[in-house]
Amino acid sequence: MLNFNSPIKSEKNYDDLKIIEIEPTIKINLRGNKRQFSTKIGKILSILPPNEANTSSGNEKFNLLWLSPDEWLIYSNDKNISLEDQLNLEESLFNEISKLNQGAVTNVSDHWIMINLKGNKIYDLLSKSCPYNFNDFKKKNGSVAQTIVNHIDTILHNKGDNNINIFVRRSFSEDFWRWLNDSAKYV
Amino acid sequence: MFLINCPYCGERDQSEFSCGGEAHIERPKQPTELSDDQWAEYLFMRKNIKGIQFERWNHIHGCRKWFNIVRDTSNDKIHAVYKMGERPPVK
Ligand SMILES: [Zn+2]
Repeated sequence: MLNFNSPIKSEKNYDDLKIIEIEPTIKINLRGNKRQFSTKIGKILSILPPNEANTSSGNEKFNLLWLSPDEWLIYSNDKNISLEDQLNLEESLFNEISKLNQGAVTNVSDHWIMINLKGNKIYDLLSKSCPYNFNDFKKKNGSVAQTIVNHIDTILHNKGDNNINIFVRRSFSEDFWRWLNDSAKYV
Repeated sequence: MFLINCPYCGERDQSEFSCGGEAHIERPKQPTELSDDQWAEYLFMRKNIKGIQFERWNHIHGCRKWFNIVRDTSNDKIHAVYKMGERPPVK
């Protein structure tokens, strides 16, 4: 997260559709399946990792997304969280989980780029090149989906009211950004 | 194109998955005692059935978990999905 430099530098507005990159955001990947693992995360973040597939949990500070039966992703709601707080969070998770062999903690802040989509047309836009069925996803706040959009791996998180966060790998982010803006002209 | 019911994420499009070939092929316990032909048989030879086939699949663009599928290769109809390590459903 030091010297953060994103290939995307703009914010785009279309009819009923707004696309903006939200960075820098801290993101931490968690892997584990031991019983103490969940309790430890609950203690540190005051959020328990969801066991139900395609869901998330969260509070005003952090979101915890289900990625797989033994994998979760933490990300912050706050762009301006200080570097010191970020390092402290990572360190406490690492010391309590990785060091005690109860799971794995990896800082993936610079691996994923978070893009926010807002507006009534977001699902029309995504459906232009995504095989995922958004019917249930739309209805439920906090639902999570990992799928492909325009052949690019993405994680989608529904924040409710036609507002979703999309995670895309940094190396694909520029391509993805261009595709989003190109397709937005035709929805 | 067909849908696959991932045992972890639910029903998803086939394009999110990748096929890992025939399932339930056991690695020989003593590879050093095999002839080259026997080893090649284990390594390369697959049944490639037209009809009901047991296959391994990976939800590569989703939860990245492996699981097994019973698929009719002639019409892509999926008869069963079961997790790794579980016993295959009887034919
Ligand atoms: Zn899956």
